Amino acid sequence: MPLIAIIEKELRMFFRYPLRVFSAVLVGIVFLLQFVFFGQAVLGGRYSQLLASSTGIGDYPTYALVGYVLWWLSVSPMEAYVWGIRRELQRGTFETNIAAPVRITELLLGLALSWLLMDSVLMMIVFAFGVLIFNISLTFSILLKSLPVLLLSFLAFLGFGFVFAGLVMMLKHIGPFAQIFEFAMLFFSGVFFPLNVMPKAIIEFSNILPLTHSVNAIRAIFIGKTYGEITSSVEWLLLLVIVYWLIGYALFKWAERITRVMGYGGY
Amino acid sequence: MHAIEVSELRKKYPKKIPLPFRKVEWVEAVRGISFKVKKGELFGLLGPNGAGKTTTIKMLTTLLEPSGGTAKILGFDIRKDAREIRRRINLVAEGERTLYWRLSAYENLKYFARIYYVPKEEERERIEKLLKLVGLWERKDDLVMNYSRGMKQRLAIAKALINDPEVLFLDEPTLGLDVQSAVFVREFIRKLVDKQKKTVLLTTHYMAEAEELCNRIAIIDQGRIIALDTPEGLKKLVKGEDVVEIKVREFSVQKMEGFPWKLVVVKEDAERGITTLRGQIDEEDLPRVVELLVKRGVRILSVEQKEPTLEDVFIKLTGRALRD
Repeated sequence: MPLIAIIEKELRMFFRYPLRVFSAVLVGIVFLLQFVFFGQAVLGGRYSQLLASSTGIGDYPTYALVGYVLWWLSVSPMEAYVWGIRRELQRGTFETNIAAPVRITELLLGLALSWLLMDSVLMMIVFAFGVLIFNISLTFSILLKSLPVLLLSFLAFLGFGFVFAGLVMMLKHIGPFAQIFEFAMLFFSGVFFPLNVMPKAIIEFSNILPLTHSVNAIRAIFIGKTYGEITSSVEWLLLLVIVYWLIGYALFKWAERITRVMGYGGY
Repeated sequence: MHAIEVSELRKKYPKKIPLPFRKVEWVEAVRGISFKVKKGELFGLLGPNGAGKTTTIKMLTTLLEPSGGTAKILGFDIRKDAREIRRRINLVAEGERTLYWRLSAYENLKYFARIYYVPKEEERERIEKLLKLVGLWERKDDLVMNYSRGMKQRLAIAKALINDPEVLFLDEPTLGLDVQSAVFVREFIRKLVDKQKKTVLLTTHYMAEAEELCNRIAIIDQGRIIALDTPEGLKKLVKGEDVVEIKVREFSVQKMEGFPWKLVVVKEDAERGITTLRGQIDEEDLPRVVELLVKRGVRILSVEQKEPTLEDVFIKLTGRALRD
């Protein structure tokens, strides 16, 4: 099956270089520590009453760890399209793939899934590190309950990232443009600080970002809330899955038409 | 039914991304070419760089949308039946970076076998057979980045045979290869046609390669086919004409301004400062040609009469050498 072959190829190339894996984990940990210690310094300690009253989680390391790991995963498909396709273009292998009978959407999806999988492995290590270092209370039941929301979030992240797939194929170099979106997600989704400190318009805007609802739902599960209590976030995620996949696919088809006129070309 | 049927195929490239409401200028790369390739034929597109050869191959392999005309591969329309065509053809693209250098030869072929839907039960056997065929079986587990240019090209050819294609497109298959590798690739291509009855369309700007390999050749220049025939048929265009090759030193284009005979530069050896000129010159005119060259400050090293080649055909048709 081509999808599995694409994932296998990407994983093989990534894990073939242990130093690259080590460096990626290290970067993940360094950023996490930086954000958590900065947050604690601002809050004057680990626990914040303000945070507890506005989000339900008063423990800043737990709040930040969940947000940080999900942010990393949320931008993973986008990075796969933007940097993954660019890398294929630079290597000169993109056309070799396009010339095969496999559907181009399957090629791209395989690329995004493999990056998501690689980032999930990296983030599992970073998450485990965070849990140990910050002594975060975690039960097996929390992890298990988080899984369905996580899977739904992945679907939404993949759809959101797909919006960029066509653009990169057509415009080739959209890295800086995509980075704006990556950091916008970080800023507008309540990853490191609660959204209710932001103006109302921004709170409204944050609803269209899948990460906002993903972090809300998982954090709620971390403080013991039931699925019944997170229906609003789940509904938003379901809606955004449909919306982003539709927008992404339409945009991709349009970009593909133009790219076929110009040529997939090298980089 | 022909393996390849091309009719009035055209391609224009936009100078900028053709977004809606944006005025864009277009450059015409292929200007209405037509030809047919029989099954089991080795057909060559010969022309200088920028003649439109790669663009033509890209359209025929469904990688590029034509701007006009039609083309069918094994009866399938390149616009409507891209996936059907892709299952039945394969391509060796120009350049060495068409494979994954961080994978081994075996891993590369396994990957391409999967995206070409090769049945799983045949995969192992087919990869082994192909790697042995191109002489890479002993190095199958080495990363491609450690291969020489020639080995990479042999692997690219093995990759192009992974789906057992009926039609194979080869874009400048010997470009940049050392002599030994180029010979291997040429012999291999010939065997593909003779023994495996594959249809091959290759592009090249090496006339000797086209002459040695192809059953028929289309000479393409500035997006148009200017001649199409067997190598012998093409050479008949210059048959009976005296072809002369003059090796000179201290040559410059300026010295040739207003020169009454047509001589074109076919080779320049910058290291040794030797330029090779070629042209169709009558025997009785030859002394005057040499005399005039000497008068213009060109040092003559040798003057030789030659058998006409495809290069002479190209010179006759375009007034330029293939290298221009």
